[in-house]
Amino acid sequence: MKNFKLNPIVLIVINILAPSLYIFIKGSYLQPYLAVFCGVMLLLVGYYKRFGLYILGFAVLYGVYFACLVVPNLKFIAMFFLVFTQTFPCFMLASILISRYSSAELLSALEDMHLPRVLVVAATITLKYIPTFGREFGYIKESMRLRGIAFTLKKPISSFRYFVAPQLFRCAALAEEVTAAGMVKGIDAPAKRSSYYEQKFRFTDTLILTVFIVGVAGVGIWAGK
Amino acid sequence: MGRKVIEAADLSFTYAESSEGIRDVSFEIYEGELILLTGDSGCGKSTLLKCLNGLIPEINEGELTGKLFIHGKDYSGLKMHELNSDIGSVFQNPRSQFFTDNTTAELVFPMENYGYSKAEMDEHLEKLTEEFSLQGLLDRSIFTLSSGERQMVALASSLTMDQKILLFDEPSANLDYGNAMKLGRLIGRMKKEGITVIVSDHRFYYLNGIIDRVFFMNEGTLNVYDSEEEFKCSGYNARSFDLFSLDITFKEKTGSAETAANMSGVSYKDILKDINLELRKGETTVIVGPNGAGKTTLAKILCKSIKPDKGSIKMDTIPFFIMQDPDYQLFGTSVHNELTIVKKDEEKIKGYLERFNLYKYRHTHPFDLSGGQKQRLQISMAMLCDKDVIIFDEPTSGLDVSSMLRVSGEINELGSGSSVVVISHDYEFIRHVADRIVYISDGRVQNDFRLNSETLPLLNDIFIRMQEEVK
Repeated sequence: MKNFKLNPIVLIVINILAPSLYIFIKGSYLQPYLAVFCGVMLLLVGYYKRFGLYILGFAVLYGVYFACLVVPNLKFIAMFFLVFTQTFPCFMLASILISRYSSAELLSALEDMHLPRVLVVAATITLKYIPTFGREFGYIKESMRLRGIAFTLKKPISSFRYFVAPQLFRCAALAEEVTAAGMVKGIDAPAKRSSYYEQKFRFTDTLILTVFIVGVAGVGIWAGK
Repeated sequence: MGRKVIEAADLSFTYAESSEGIRDVSFEIYEGELILLTGDSGCGKSTLLKCLNGLIPEINEGELTGKLFIHGKDYSGLKMHELNSDIGSVFQNPRSQFFTDNTTAELVFPMENYGYSKAEMDEHLEKLTEEFSLQGLLDRSIFTLSSGERQMVALASSLTMDQKILLFDEPSANLDYGNAMKLGRLIGRMKKEGITVIVSDHRFYYLNGIIDRVFFMNEGTLNVYDSEEEFKCSGYNARSFDLFSLDITFKEKTGSAETAANMSGVSYKDILKDINLELRKGETTVIVGPNGAGKTTLAKILCKSIKPDKGSIKMDTIPFFIMQDPDYQLFGTSVHNELTIVKKDEEKIKGYLERFNLYKYRHTHPFDLSGGQKQRLQISMAMLCDKDVIIFDEPTSGLDVSSMLRVSGEINELGSGSSVVVISHDYEFIRHVADRIVYISDGRVQNDFRLNSETLPLLNDIFIRMQEEVK
């Protein structure tokens, strides 16, 4: 179902809600629900390969979690893996957001949610920053290979330093460049921002959001019993 | 003379973190004028441009004094969005140029910000598409465009709000000769339409004959030449107005017989077809060709970043590749440490540090060096590494004439130990460094010759052809 196009607002809302629900609902109930929901979403948008990776990732994370529980000295690490397993579905949903929608579409979606202007501008600049950063990462990796200092497990610390230092230095410059690109194109204009990629909130969008909320409520009631 | 559009009175700016900036700059710019803003690196050109589009003081911190007016209104009373609906900016760096990653999204982005309706956006988009022949470029990823195409989209997107003033920051830096000449024609057309254009650049051959006035910056101060002719007679190295009349002596050195690398029958997708190339030690080979001809792909194949579909490469070591942007290539904690990563040879390191005027910066972090110093550090690294092949990717893009001459001197000193491959569009620089020219077009080696007085017409021909191909 490659053509199944979801309004990004649905994914944004679910992604904001899901992690905070752990405060109210027992993890042992909520977690399987989120895991299944996210799996279905991946299948709905046609990410079959990613669905496979998702299942595999889950199995590995759970495996490590239980292994850590069994070994007495590693119990404290188990907690870390548990948290990671619990947020794993959210990362998957976020990956749909980033790979499926252009920054322009995401910007329009945020604007439609009637968030404050400052927040929208900040979020947009951040969204634009992620792919830029990703590309830079690629350049640096390639450049390390050519310098003969490619990342090696034999020297993890110096490899890591080579990798991180230039990135940190680039951050400041990049942030300035990205901001400049937006500023000279009127990103600070007070007018209500319009959208070339306007997306209607369709029946399927409402349906998915309703299913999610009803499901959460159901799980909450079940867990409370 | 038209209406006054921009006026500066005693404008000064000093950056918070460095002593660079501009001092007591005053000028007036009139409607429909074409101003060339030039001067050596670090002279304050970019600072002045940033003052004009409001990025100073909006983003860059520092001390700003004096007055700046647009259509008689004081800049200090204007917001960025008010200013930038009058002024369009075309940056050299695609990272500061493009906010989105899709061409159509980029073109409508300013209109969305100013709250245009979908119908208005469609209408404007159609007009821009027509005006800049963007038919084949809509709805594409910015990263799949060639430099020339990217420049067209950048130009169109900076005029979406019908701006009547246009600023260019080194527009020719990444363009081949043909695309630069095309840009020159477009700028000429815009000038005729009454658009005021300010171009900041080190190279200006593409503006020959259409410049109204030249703003020459030197160490932060401004000197105005009232005509192109006056500037040509000023004694500044303005000779590159007419590239082909340059009188540069040819290099006499000949490469040794020793082969550094050998490519035979190399093909890659439909980008490169059956490339045969033997690179010899002690020889500087310049690869020329239009944007998108496959030059960078060729370099990537040499570096084993990508595998060719067909053919083979014989080479003992991976080449040392000097990227255009040194920031991606520096990993050390100090200049000295950077060189020890390449090779721990204290004696040689000290020698190169002294030779390239870097000795007093040996404890400085590489990122704190100036652009020219970073490039000298890269060249020292190249000399230290004992690789058979050293590749330079557009080493003079964005350099002023004196820096370009310095780099060519340094490349010529690289010695006979390795084969040097240079990818470049810079005619003058090519004349200084090339022993041999390899012309690539349509993925094939079209011509491969030693550069001397007899073969010079062949090189000139290649440049003229590149211009004719871009209509």
